[in-house]
Amino acid sequence: MENLTKQSAKSKIVGFFSDRGRKISEFFKSLPQRIKTKFAGAKEILYEGNGKVRASMLIMGLGQLMYRQWAKGILYMLVQAAFLAYFILRGASDFIGFFTLGTQESNAWYGIEGDNSVIMMLMGILSIIAIIFYAVIYVSNIKDCYVIQCAADTLKNPKSFKKELAELLNQKFYKTALALPIVGVSVFSILPIIFMILIAFTNYGGNIVPPALVDWVGFDNFGRILTLGQFAPTFFKIFGWNILWAVLSTALNYFAGLGLALLLNKKCVKGKTIWRLFPILAYAVPGFITLIAFKYMFSYGGPINQMITDAGGTAIGFLDIDAKWTARLIGLFANAWLNIPSSMLLATGILSNMNSDLYEAARVDGASAWKQFVKITLPYVLFATMPVLISQFIANFNNFGIFYFLRGGLYMDGYFLASDTDLLINWLYNMSIDNNYYSIGAAISIIIFIVTSVISLAVYVLSPSYKQEETYQ
Amino acid sequence: MKKIKIKPQKLFNVAITYLIILAVCFIFLFPILWLVLASFSKTGSIYSFDGFFPTEFSLDSFIRLFTDTDLYNYPRWFLNTLFIALMSSLIGTTLTILTAYVMSRFRFKSRKTMMKMTLILGMFPSFMTMTAVYLMMTQFNLINQQWGLILIYSAGAPMGYLTQKGFFDTIPSSIDEAARIDGASNFIIFIKITLPLAAPMIVYTLLSSFVWPWSDFILPQLLLKNKDLYTVAVGLMSLDDTEFSRFAAGSVFIAVPIVIFYFALSKFLISGLSAGAVKQ
Repeated sequence: MENLTKQSAKSKIVGFFSDRGRKISEFFKSLPQRIKTKFAGAKEILYEGNGKVRASMLIMGLGQLMYRQWAKGILYMLVQAAFLAYFILRGASDFIGFFTLGTQESNAWYGIEGDNSVIMMLMGILSIIAIIFYAVIYVSNIKDCYVIQCAADTLKNPKSFKKELAELLNQKFYKTALALPIVGVSVFSILPIIFMILIAFTNYGGNIVPPALVDWVGFDNFGRILTLGQFAPTFFKIFGWNILWAVLSTALNYFAGLGLALLLNKKCVKGKTIWRLFPILAYAVPGFITLIAFKYMFSYGGPINQMITDAGGTAIGFLDIDAKWTARLIGLFANAWLNIPSSMLLATGILSNMNSDLYEAARVDGASAWKQFVKITLPYVLFATMPVLISQFIANFNNFGIFYFLRGGLYMDGYFLASDTDLLINWLYNMSIDNNYYSIGAAISIIIFIVTSVISLAVYVLSPSYKQEETYQ
Repeated sequence: MKKIKIKPQKLFNVAITYLIILAVCFIFLFPILWLVLASFSKTGSIYSFDGFFPTEFSLDSFIRLFTDTDLYNYPRWFLNTLFIALMSSLIGTTLTILTAYVMSRFRFKSRKTMMKMTLILGMFPSFMTMTAVYLMMTQFNLINQQWGLILIYSAGAPMGYLTQKGFFDTIPSSIDEAARIDGASNFIIFIKITLPLAAPMIVYTLLSSFVWPWSDFILPQLLLKNKDLYTVAVGLMSLDDTEFSRFAAGSVFIAVPIVIFYFALSKFLISGLSAGAVKQ
């Protein structure tokens, strides 16, 4: 039975990737056709569009004004004016700077202020994002004008501005709602990520930091991590521990949190609010404080060791340099202590939304409590939280705080700038923030990304939340 | 009148349940109790303790925390943190709930692409982007500005919309359809029907997006150089080693607002409003 599920899981994953392969080849086969249809629309606008549509191509909003759509026309014009102002003042030079990464080396002797390659790259990416946003609005402007023309040609009244605004709150509410999140995420998440990816392909770091000029070096950094004696052994040792850590800690936190929520949900428990307050208390104290407190607790002069020495024993270095497994276990425990409350809260919220009919039916049928849990609660909770579970796995894989506070800054023999509890993210920190290896650090973070994405994509594809979103709706 | 009989098996079950709950509560309480008692210690050093707990108690560390502000201006840090966390939590929650609702209820062209994109983007170690964020903030002149931090926290918040989307997915869509037949627009449905039903999830989002800036120390450390702008986390990290009880007192004090939050909002967290809304 177990073998069978394993087999089907395997075939699902293989199926997913071969599916992707098929889709990709189909995509390329259908590409000419797609381009044709895409351009058919553009062609239609180009040939059929009247002078007013062309006016909109030249100056955004002009066509709309000619059709007496005042508010919309002025809005489009303002967008164009704002973009032009940005592009002339700074966008154009930023855009060029992205490709050159600076040509003028600074020279203090002659008082020349050189180019800062890193800033140039960053602002270059920003200017590209701005251009993409502008292009999208520009195209929508032309399409909009053409739609008005079609309406006017068939003697229908084009939609009034008021009606279009109302539409933005109804059929097109998704556009209104997503506008701000998309801009925010583009600037504060996507831009830095692109920057980081690009840094991995430069020689930024070590001696080469501004004012020195940075250059593109291709895949050199990845080659150095995987082959060079300096990096490779450390990388593989940390990598193995990191995977183990992520699996253990995620499973522990998730099931302990769910168990706690179910326990407190039992009918026989009185005073649920009070009981729930204890984990919340733990949640309320910021993580770094608890971690420092734990560090004190397990330190040589800390209370646990005081009790051991009072009882006649010798002090134990729980977090010492040779305390590999005790330190790891303490980390696991501390992490559980920090994260179980939030996973309990989440499970409580999900459980409270559950249809209680199922339980009644199960009770009538005489199902045991365990059976009810396995057959009703668990599938439901897993369905609702599978994406969260994946993001928790990733958060644990990249859990920086735990070992930074418990055992940070320890460099060990056999490791390059790391210790045996450090995760890849801690290594990354040691390398790039403490020791200036920026480009190597960026390359490590890309490797981390590839690993976590392959694992979580596979899990996500297998989960019911992906395939049957509407099951419980 | 009938006499109520309690089965011994059930009694045993209840006893075990309470025993586990007590044990769990003890585990969660103990480190906090330790920290609280340490904050009332008279000497201020961890080495003068007898085992876990200090031998002499006084209010000195709390008084010093709020009066001796020349070197460590704790009241100021506290207000800074409160402002940043409140603002980021409000803006971030709004953006997250909007994103999650749209992703759960609307079917539009680039939806699946966007969902996959956010999933993939979320897998990048957020940490490595710190360098880029720092450089960007210097360019926007947002170093040493509280709004810079608020911007970063709230702009990044919608990336974690999946929890909320999972919740919206479990709200029966038959409720929406009933309202739509009555002529309500999607915006009205969202405000009048979905939001009240999602109250537990909103509270969860508010809390979790409040706790992040409240306890984060990496970003503020990077962006706030001026001592008067410090948040509590950065400030407490900057304390000297000998100030253990001041550290403990400061830590205890910043737990207070979240505990108040919980008390004020707990009924939303627990009662599932949708449970009785639709019976299928």
